[in-house]
Amino acid sequence: MNTNIVYFEDVELGDDIGPITRTVESDQVLEFVSLREPDPKPSRFTSEAAAKEEGLPNAIVPGAMNIALMSQILTDWSPTVCLKKIDVVFRGMVPHEKPLTFSGIVTDKDDSGNSTDLECDIVMENQEGVRLVIGHAEFALPSKP
Amino acid sequence: MTTDEGIKYDRSLLGVEHPIGTFSVTREMIVGFARSTGETDEKYIGSPDGTGDVVAPSTICNIFVNGVSRPDISLEFGDLSFFAGQSIECKSEIKPGDTLSATTRLEEVYAKTGRSGKMVFSVWRTTFTNQKDDTVALVNESFVRRNRSK
Repeated sequence: MNTNIVYFEDVELGDDIGPITRTVESDQVLEFVSLREPDPKPSRFTSEAAAKEEGLPNAIVPGAMNIALMSQILTDWSPTVCLKKIDVVFRGMVPHEKPLTFSGIVTDKDDSGNSTDLECDIVMENQEGVRLVIGHAEFALPSKP
Repeated sequence: MTTDEGIKYDRSLLGVEHPIGTFSVTREMIVGFARSTGETDEKYIGSPDGTGDVVAPSTICNIFVNGVSRPDISLEFGDLSFFAGQSIECKSEIKPGDTLSATTRLEEVYAKTGRSGKMVFSVWRTTFTNQKDDTVALVNESFVRRNRSK
């Protein structure tokens, strides 16, 4: 967990967020799927064979799990982040057991004095730099005491 | 350019709220969700001895919308479906002991033509409220239908 405290005043337009690297293990996907369905049937998410039957090269990470991973670009950046909205587009299949890089860039900052809201673009890439998930997030940071 | 002209589907479903269930949020569920998505922050996973207060990560409502059955919109287009995208608006904190009620509605259906040809998107908006009737999250999901490449 990152304990780096970031305040609204510390952030400028164009600042980088991350990157962080994650590898989603097959056991994690099974745990995630099991939260909803305690004894899940083999599927494209949990079984290589089921994925291959559907024409996929290997089992994939569910979209619902990908958005949770994407949100961690911000929540890992600083415990002071208050996530307000996250919006993602799934562009490619996200594989299990492969390193994924998450990063962001600050695209908007409310300098009106009425809020401490910010916005950023976020992306998940595979090892080859292919963008698998892209998106946008709105969040707030506290002002310096 | 996007349009919904000429798309055949059940338009009577547009904007109509459908209850999809009531869900009890447990500590075990929050910690399981957090661990499975690689969270390490103790505010989500608790302390190493398994105690400590937790709150839910902002995207936890995905446990409940994932795999939910929605009314069939009888879309007459395409033979291949994908989950195209999603947005989550986080309105209020979700904690163990909360009971969430969810309703979903068909927000819009539109067509778009890209490099791989015509695609039809259907967008569903799901609203989660807690036991105090506070809205805790709004989830928009976009599904795309297109024809298989020949």
